Amino acid sequence: MKSRKTTLQKLGAAALVMMLSGCSQSQPASSSASTISVLSREEGSGTRSAFSELFQLEKEGQNLIVPDAEITNSTAVMMATVSQNPNAIGYISLGSLNDNVKALAIDGVKPSVETITDGTYSISRPFLIAQKEGVQNALADDFKAFILSSQGQKIIADAGYVPAGDLGEWANAGISGSLSVGGSSSVTPVMEKLAEEYQKQNDQAEISVLQTDSSTGASSTAQGVYDLGMLSRQLNDEEKSQSLTSTPIAQDGIALIVSQDNPVDGLSKSQVQEIYSGAITDWSALN
Amino acid sequence: MESNRKETWLQLLFAGCAALCILSVALICWFLFANGLPAIVEIGPLNFLFSTDWSPSQGQYGIFAMIVGSICLGLGAALFGVPLGVLTAIYLAYYCPKKLYGPFKSAIDLLAGIPSIVFGFFGLVVLVGWMQKVFVGSSGKGILCASLLLAIMILPTIVSVSENALQSIDPSFYEASRALGAGHDHTVFFVCVPAAARGIGTAIVLGISRAIGETMAVIMVAGNAAILPTSILSPVRTLTTGIVLEMSYASGLHRQALIAMGTVLFILILIMNIGFFKTRHQKG
Repeated sequence: MKSRKTTLQKLGAAALVMMLSGCSQSQPASSSASTISVLSREEGSGTRSAFSELFQLEKEGQNLIVPDAEITNSTAVMMATVSQNPNAIGYISLGSLNDNVKALAIDGVKPSVETITDGTYSISRPFLIAQKEGVQNALADDFKAFILSSQGQKIIADAGYVPAGDLGEWANAGISGSLSVGGSSSVTPVMEKLAEEYQKQNDQAEISVLQTDSSTGASSTAQGVYDLGMLSRQLNDEEKSQSLTSTPIAQDGIALIVSQDNPVDGLSKSQVQEIYSGAITDWSALN
Repeated sequence: MESNRKETWLQLLFAGCAALCILSVALICWFLFANGLPAIVEIGPLNFLFSTDWSPSQGQYGIFAMIVGSICLGLGAALFGVPLGVLTAIYLAYYCPKKLYGPFKSAIDLLAGIPSIVFGFFGLVVLVGWMQKVFVGSSGKGILCASLLLAIMILPTIVSVSENALQSIDPSFYEASRALGAGHDHTVFFVCVPAAARGIGTAIVLGISRAIGETMAVIMVAGNAAILPTSILSPVRTLTTGIVLEMSYASGLHRQALIAMGTVLFILILIMNIGFFKTRHQKG
């Protein structure tokens, strides 16, 4: 019995070693170490549609982003993937940027609140909140007033976005009730901070922030599921026809991100366009 | 009399519970077909099933690439998961020392209890990194990575169902074979395993069904590009991940097309199960 068991174990170990060594041998010779791994977002994403528009990747309704680009529906997965893979490139909202990944300079300008404010970094889009016309909601109006007040806009600036304006001090009117705010995953993080601060000031109110995406934010607000919708792009004509109105609350940059191990520090706008449309497929073609 | 009446009531209650089960299956079928079939008819069945062009914004709804993706991942998971799972079950049933059985068994049960999103995160952070090291220059995400992750995920199903099958065969089979002079290994592999073949078959079908239906873990490691895969490192989108990626914002025909994808997935799994149980009945 005992000897049989050890023979089996030896056989198993040998098989394992063979499998593992087989794996490393079957490495494809054709792929060089610098093929660009392109990451993109799903079609309903506001970041994706703003990105496509800013880099002219949209032609007569046709999206030009390479079909074999990796698709994810989450900023977190995008950042985790890019941070691990030195050959990957992706795009995220500037406010979500952290040190795990490197933001590329576009046409020589690094994305930051300052460069967006002074207009030198042109890759930016507005954050909007959408509301259905003719629906009376005192709490929604008060929360909107808070977001656009100096307190609200300070939170937006602290979170790394460019404030949209300043309507002066907001004073607590003690309006009670509950409010649901839903939509863009790019707007969600800052909206959560705004809701938290608002509820600290006005403890009569209960605000729930629901993360989906810009298109859902618009359609659910039109259907009355959300009281306020969050969008990271402009309303399109179909959405405007559903009697939605929008108010810009901030300006956000879109940052092109690569791994910290990637030697590339910046790209031109046309290079980004060529990478995403599949004209450039290798990092070495950029030099 | 009193107890008799109680019994009837309880019987009715149990029958009601069983009927609820059937009712929910029937309702799901009705929902899938009532919502999915009109879309399939509108798009055209051939166009829907066999076109590889999936671009909802331009009204192109071809799901062939996703059907292929689902089948690839099902087979890939089986390729790694079935040998590993069945051999583990054989080890647990015939070779495992009593002292080790408890830890092994509870570890496998624990594996079954891990939420799929946790598997997905493990895959994204650990497996994808390994894949990038082994296949230099690839993104790491794709058929191979997703198959490996799914293989781990379907292990508990395969192991526990196969082990049950092995444990429940008549012990006289084993004894008779040993009495005739066959060794332990020979008996296990040529008498016991064939005797439990049906149960092991069930385990494999259940495992593959789970792999094809898995979503949250796959979405994080498969790359999700809606294209026909060209190699084992190609990114793939499966029927399930296709639905999850787009369901939240789809409307109109796009939404119906996603439900129709659910219908196709349902039929795919139904065919697999019916096919398996048919052949099983013919044998038995």
